[in-house]
Amino acid sequence: MAIDMNVFRGFAEQIKMLPQMARPTDCPDNERVKHAKAIFSTKIDASNATQLESCVHCGLCAEACQFYIQTEDPELTPIHKLDLLKRYYRREKAPLRWLHRLIEPDITEADLEATQHLVYESCTECGRCGLVCPMGIDIAAMVHVTREGLAHAGLIPAGLRAVEQEQGSRGTVFGVGPDQLRQAADELRAKGHEVPIDKDKADVLVLTSTIDVLLFKDALEATVKVMNHLGLDWTIHSCAFEGANFGLLSGYSEVQKSASERITSQAIALGARMVIVPECGHAYPALRWAGANAHGAPLPFEVMALSEFLGREVMAGRLQLNPIGADKHVTYHDPCKIGRHGGVFDEPRAVLQALGVDMREMPSNRTANFCCGGGAGLFVMEKAEPMRNAAFDLKRQQVEATGAGSVVTACGSCRINLMAGAGRTQWSTPIESLVELVGANLK
Amino acid sequence: MSLFGLRVSGWQLSTLFLAGLLLFIAFPATAQDKVPASPIMVPNPATDLWRAVRQREGAASGQTQVRGIETGVLIEQRGEAFREYRRRDFIGNAGIFIGVIAGLVLLFYILRGRINIPGGRSGRRIKRFADFERTLHWFTAIVFIFLALTGLTLLFGRFVVLPVFGAEAFGVIASACKEGHNLFGPLFIVAVVLLFIRFAWRNLPSRGDLTWLVKGGGIIGKAHVTAGFFNAGEKIWFWSVMVLGLAVSISGLVLIFPTLGQPRDIMQLALFVHGIAAVLFIAGSFGHIYIGTIGTEGSLESMTTGYVDENWAEAHHDRWHAETVAQAARGADRHASADTTGAVHATTDKA
Amino acid sequence: MSFTAFVDGPFWYFSATVFVIGVLWRLVGMLNMGSKTDFSTPRSSGSAAALSINITRFFPRADFWSRIRLQVVAGYLFHVGLFALLFFAAPHIEFYREYVTGFGWVALPEWAFILVSEIAFLGLMLLILHRMLNPVTRAISDRGDYIGSILIFLVMLTGCLALARSHEVLRVTHFFLAELLLVYFPFSALIHTFTFPFSRGFMGAHYGRRGVKV
Repeated sequence: MAIDMNVFRGFAEQIKMLPQMARPTDCPDNERVKHAKAIFSTKIDASNATQLESCVHCGLCAEACQFYIQTEDPELTPIHKLDLLKRYYRREKAPLRWLHRLIEPDITEADLEATQHLVYESCTECGRCGLVCPMGIDIAAMVHVTREGLAHAGLIPAGLRAVEQEQGSRGTVFGVGPDQLRQAADELRAKGHEVPIDKDKADVLVLTSTIDVLLFKDALEATVKVMNHLGLDWTIHSCAFEGANFGLLSGYSEVQKSASERITSQAIALGARMVIVPECGHAYPALRWAGANAHGAPLPFEVMALSEFLGREVMAGRLQLNPIGADKHVTYHDPCKIGRHGGVFDEPRAVLQALGVDMREMPSNRTANFCCGGGAGLFVMEKAEPMRNAAFDLKRQQVEATGAGSVVTACGSCRINLMAGAGRTQWSTPIESLVELVGANLK
Repeated sequence: MSLFGLRVSGWQLSTLFLAGLLLFIAFPATAQDKVPASPIMVPNPATDLWRAVRQREGAASGQTQVRGIETGVLIEQRGEAFREYRRRDFIGNAGIFIGVIAGLVLLFYILRGRINIPGGRSGRRIKRFADFERTLHWFTAIVFIFLALTGLTLLFGRFVVLPVFGAEAFGVIASACKEGHNLFGPLFIVAVVLLFIRFAWRNLPSRGDLTWLVKGGGIIGKAHVTAGFFNAGEKIWFWSVMVLGLAVSISGLVLIFPTLGQPRDIMQLALFVHGIAAVLFIAGSFGHIYIGTIGTEGSLESMTTGYVDENWAEAHHDRWHAETVAQAARGADRHASADTTGAVHATTDKA
Repeated sequence: MSFTAFVDGPFWYFSATVFVIGVLWRLVGMLNMGSKTDFSTPRSSGSAAALSINITRFFPRADFWSRIRLQVVAGYLFHVGLFALLFFAAPHIEFYREYVTGFGWVALPEWAFILVSEIAFLGLMLLILHRMLNPVTRAISDRGDYIGSILIFLVMLTGCLALARSHEVLRVTHFFLAELLLVYFPFSALIHTFTFPFSRGFMGAHYGRRGVKV
């Protein structure tokens, strides 16, 4: 694998510096509550209402959460993260708001601040809690609503805010813009690959991510190889190549919308029938589910996760792979945002089957898999490190239970968090990328 | 010390206990039946006949066309004997027995005081009882106390409650207690069975138990005694709960299902067993409750929080403590554990 | 007016009215908040999933079972026992026939009534104790959780104490507490009785559109 570990370590260093790079939002303390409420007011609907009202404080959600399981800290109980939203809802939206206003105090700036680490640094919105709740409360979705409220109140944690501000103002992430993309394309051309950039019209718009451009270059190379191998009319576009959406991660909806509309309008201009999202977790729901709502209309093109696309091509017989052999024992880590939140489970497994490897499922897999701990922007938040580490330790146990020789996944964040954990604990099991395995074994 | 969040001193608790018991033991010993005397003696014409029926020797059962258990018996001879036994012997002595045991426990506390943790608390905790175990214990305790109070009311009520509240009110109380006692009884059976399944293994006799008993558990003096998860004293209480629990359960079931075909003497035997076992149970529970609360520093929290101080563990259950510490060390070796301290107490980022 | 007459008369009418109107007010108020249109192309039907999750959510996933056993078992013991005794115990059916529906239905035999009551008591007591003893539930529970569950326990207990039907005061106590519960119900988390099919349904629909069976 050609991962430059200096770049990997550089990432870690840069992440430590991020908080200093964040600009102030100039939100006065006494206006934060007002801004948060304005957002909550527009977001809360019947789904949130019936769910918030159905909670009986049974505590089962904690038993599903990897962060609680590892730390046994009741503060990390998932439903507790919604106390702020619940209190706002009860006082200002609920049918019994007139009663609650008499007996419950209003949310304060201190409450907003106390909620920050609950919904940011200690939650990946993985959704496992919602699976166990007997009332079917979608806690992850409402954690996100809370993030949106806090974001507009100027309370995005500094590291995450820095990246969101960069993407919002300059359209880039970690300084990777059109020049860096073209540079990466030139590197690939030098290796003999055709890289169609900035075509006027194309069937398929392929996205990538900063992480693939800088770090997981093999994944980008493999993607290019597969697209060419399949003979598709595809392009990558320097105006809209970033799959990651830090507006979504931070909850700052204006940036979420601008980042996703940038892709949507480019795909429409290209006349694309399909947009392929790279190996990046949240990038998939950002476009596949939230993109149409940001657009205000159904998207006129199909959105596929790369792993989903590869699987579909394999299942249709259009993509033939050389079998690696059944003496390669792997397990597959479903990225939460592509699996549980995306519905993509069978396709990556079809790819692994076509590769002829011995795939062993982790004890908790597919819909109920454990989060790696790095999602929802946690990997750029330094204060989230204890949580990321705790989740990794649990994930490691899951992998080791399979006896597999490597972990395959299809998300850059997952890869980073798993690699960081492996480095920290001297774990020798390699973390592999699905598209890289495909790229290396095209028939 | 703190008892369920209330600040109580050992003296206050003991006094309360004793006061409550006085209610029960004072009256039975001087039980008086208030039977209104009839001013005019009217002889019953059939007195001679019924005396002959009642005092018949041999088989006290005749022939009848009515089908059922003991339908051939017109007057149950043992009934009066049982009634006398219950009123005169059992109630009085039971009251005295319960009072004496309570008094002995109080006396022990006065003389020995609370057994403190040697060397004080270490501040480090280890997990002793799982959620389910604590839930089960307190479920058993609450059901037991409910059954004890309703049961004692059924036993002593006529002599203790009725004089205070009057016959009508006592009628209400007694009816309520009977229904409550009969419905919650089977729940106690469930509790005892679950306790057995969960704890029997840890209460099997093991090395050191005899020594522990001979040394009186180190409760007198400062002798150190070795013990595993449960010491011999606790094991004795556990098996007492099992045996007495079995006795009250089986006899109780006989009593709440009177139409299963059993004759009166079985019912009387059941009442007898139920009463004796219950009284022994209640008396034993005084010791258990005492030792688990005010009697020993650091014990109650094992059943409320599930954790105990390490010094407590070392002092009272040294072998269990050693095993637990060794297991934790092995677990820590296997995985580099994540440092999650301070994870949820990070400072807020404002902009 | 005697307390008995109050409980059998005005307070019954008051509590029943508050219960019905309160529940409807709250439920309709929630549902009226509507749902945002989702413009994304669904993978599969949301409405079908909204229905199916209401069944499947009764059966917890194997992944979680070892950590949630006690609460799930106790929860079912309580709820199933309560449902059975509320709707199939003879004295209750008598009450509904006379004061609510005008007709009755088949009742459990007395021994079965006792049995389901014991099951309900077992479940409820284990749950209340667990709430107090488990660090998570102890941290997140509020006053309302204890008031609701203990009130239900008292209603059940007074019902049990009045089983012999021997003294009016025991019956009236049970009725009074039950009516108090009816008044308290719409203002508490007990509303989950009526909201849970909707909260589950919304979750089912959300994930169903994504093609994920939750």
